[in-house]
Amino acid sequence: MSDATQTVTETKTPGRLGRIYQGRTTIDFVGRKRTWFTISIIIIVIGIASLSIRGFNLGIDFKGGTTWQVIAPHSSVVDMTKAVQAVGLHNPIVQKLGSDHYQVSADIKSLSGNQLTSLVNEVAKAMGKAAGVNSNAVSNTSVGPTWGGQITNRALEALIVFFIAVTLYISIRFEPKMALAAFIAMIHDLLVTVGVYSLFGFQITPDTVIAILTILGYSLYDTVVVFDRVRDNTGGILKSSGGDMTYGEMVNLSMNQTLARSINTSLVAILPVLAVLLVGADLLGATTLQNYGLALFVGLMSGAYSSIFIASPLLALFKEREPRFRELAERARLRSPHATLSPAAAALLSGEGAQRQMRATAATGTRATRNVAGTPSRGTIQARARKQKRR
Amino acid sequence: MAQQVGSRRNLIVSLVLTIAIAFGALAATMTLGWGPKLGLDLAGGLSVVYKPATPASNADMQEVVTVLSNRVNGLGVSGATVNLQGKNVVVSVPGVTDARAVLKEVGQTAQLLFRPVLCETSVDKKTTPVANGKLPACGAQYLMTAANLAVNTSTGNPTNQIPLDPAFAGIRSTSPQNDLKKNEVLLPVLGSPGVRLVLGPAQLTGKAVHKAQVGQTPAGAWLVNYTLTKSGSPAWDKVAQANFHAEVGIELDGVVQSAPLILPNQASFTSFNGQGQISGSFTEGSAKTLANAMEFGSLPVRLIPQDSVVVSPTLGHSSLVAGLGAGLVGLLLVLLYTILYYRALGLVIVLGLATTAALLWAIISALGHTSLAPSFDLAGITGIIVSIGITVDSYIVYFERLKDEARAGRSIRTSVDRGFKSAWRTVLAADTVSLLAAVLLYLIAVGDVRGFAFFLGLSTVMDVVITWYFTRPLVILLGRRGSESTSALSMAAGLTPGVSVHE
Repeated sequence: MSDATQTVTETKTPGRLGRIYQGRTTIDFVGRKRTWFTISIIIIVIGIASLSIRGFNLGIDFKGGTTWQVIAPHSSVVDMTKAVQAVGLHNPIVQKLGSDHYQVSADIKSLSGNQLTSLVNEVAKAMGKAAGVNSNAVSNTSVGPTWGGQITNRALEALIVFFIAVTLYISIRFEPKMALAAFIAMIHDLLVTVGVYSLFGFQITPDTVIAILTILGYSLYDTVVVFDRVRDNTGGILKSSGGDMTYGEMVNLSMNQTLARSINTSLVAILPVLAVLLVGADLLGATTLQNYGLALFVGLMSGAYSSIFIASPLLALFKEREPRFRELAERARLRSPHATLSPAAAALLSGEGAQRQMRATAATGTRATRNVAGTPSRGTIQARARKQKRR
Repeated sequence: MAQQVGSRRNLIVSLVLTIAIAFGALAATMTLGWGPKLGLDLAGGLSVVYKPATPASNADMQEVVTVLSNRVNGLGVSGATVNLQGKNVVVSVPGVTDARAVLKEVGQTAQLLFRPVLCETSVDKKTTPVANGKLPACGAQYLMTAANLAVNTSTGNPTNQIPLDPAFAGIRSTSPQNDLKKNEVLLPVLGSPGVRLVLGPAQLTGKAVHKAQVGQTPAGAWLVNYTLTKSGSPAWDKVAQANFHAEVGIELDGVVQSAPLILPNQASFTSFNGQGQISGSFTEGSAKTLANAMEFGSLPVRLIPQDSVVVSPTLGHSSLVAGLGAGLVGLLLVLLYTILYYRALGLVIVLGLATTAALLWAIISALGHTSLAPSFDLAGITGIIVSIGITVDSYIVYFERLKDEARAGRSIRTSVDRGFKSAWRTVLAADTVSLLAAVLLYLIAVGDVRGFAFFLGLSTVMDVVITWYFTRPLVILLGRRGSESTSALSMAAGLTPGVSVHE
């Protein structure tokens, strides 16, 4: 079925953008799945390789330590370093964030409570002096070595519960195979984001962990919207008069129809995040925003990609293993190898009324489970007999 | 297919009501001067997360919260909160300028001091402080020395009743600043209003105590058993020797917890061998309080700071500006894009977002007035910024459906109804996933994550509400207005019906 979607283009063909706008692109999302899967696997493999070699760049929240921050428009990294070393802070890491923020970090967690408190105060005073402000204008964060781990553990707990809840929800609201495809797409996003973080050595903080959780939610959100359309379109697939469309082709059609929406959605999600990253973090030096922004940016890109190029082809792959859809594919191949519905006709088809299609989906569900149990017969008597019953 | 989603009247009522409620609520909160309760990363301030050093029961942790609350409130800062998050205690004090000084006070494990009792005195309401906390000496006849008390070794009670020294009646109790180890102090006694004690310099600290537990005598009287550390044992013996047959006051946080007589039943001093017992007229509660005080300072468990954050007000302000700035820029970019893409329909998005924003701000402000919601911090701002994408997506899903319907040759009038029906299902399904994520994160995660999840969840709910009560009536009304060609919606490209339906 790989080359099945060369559409007969109607009237004057608009430009590529125009076609996306009108939902009449003819990109073969399902047929070229090998390409998409290969791209993803390469990215993930590189990420995992980097992870096993370089590991993560963990922030102080995971290692424990103290950071101080001050706004000092007229200072420099050298001055700041000298100032904090003068009060006895060994091996400080001094960074300039944004246009006038300075951040000093050091691993002083081995000090006892009182020593720690007094050194924290001394450094704050020194930094205030270097910046020409009162020490009350210096911020600081001290973290015990187990805190980041605690946050991450709780986040992982949340993640596992979320996985289970969402898989159940999609299984009930849509169907188990969609849940599986969405789940794999979500794991894909997780692996890609984690890989990119290791590869580029971006620092991991608890904020990053939060952001990654959000991404997984968003990736699913995106996938659900696409699958909703697939379900709409495939609702009547088995009984439609033009029953010469395979499930894969239907998915393809749905993807092309929702391409404008997918692109728009990804853009409106990424634009604010980009603003967070560039305006909030780079210009104004808010590190929390940077931590969020970066992870969200990487994850949203991956999420947008995976809903279109991973989740949907996977769904087609899973569904076409069902005997009735395999039979459909067989028939379609024999009858007319080059036919597809025009988007307009598909829209008509999809809009035939929500009630009927809900019924069709429900029937699909029970049938699927029954068929999986038995040996899949190659679309013969049994399947047909059932089909007749339905008429 | 009678696909009327609602009568014209209902739609108008819904639309007008939504706008009125949203902007009315906004105006109301603004007139009341309510604003969001800013988190300390925006307002400046201090936050510490303490973890119990050893596993602690819920009752213990509740007590920790009570003690820390008293300590923080005793410092005279406003708006401080102490609460439990799982097994952790989170202390946050927003808006203080000298946060590091506050942190020092709060974080200190209160010190337990053993001081010899010099004499007793009464409480007088018209008390005056003494310069530098320097107290006059006790009168010789009031001194609670072993000689004056003359303990009867068979009963264990003093033979002499020593009167209260009137010289101290007009003097104020020693202030915390002057309550130093090396000073003589005048302090109130726990559970004995009307009596205060003049105590000498501390001879030992609570570090000598290893464990203290509540016990009962065979007769059922409550008492406290304690054991001493290796180095504490000889030190305690020294103190006991020095105050043999006299009283030693156990002071915690400026209050004498108990002032037991040392070894009343023996004629001469012998070593305690690292353990001892305090008896007296205890109740179970007062015995437990003393045991806790001796073992932990006033806390039932030792606390280890996990994460302590001090944010200066200047830095907080700059973060607030960065967060709001980023949000505004992001919002403008999104609006610009949707207007360019959807033209007239883009204006619907602008109006919708304005209504959402008004309602959201009003709700956040109102919540800020209560203590129900997490405070509004950078993580929360990020949650809301992320939700811009989800909110706008609901419009996009609808409008794309609309375009499909129109392209299939339906009239705009029918398209707006049918398009909404299918879009609504999608929006509900997708928002459910988003809400699921937010609720689970809020319930399970700790720290900043909760604020983030709360505001993400709130705006997701808002999205569902606005889609149904605002977007639906507005677009459907616009779609029904006028003839096909002059309809406001046909201005939006891609919505001209009849093009390329049957080639």
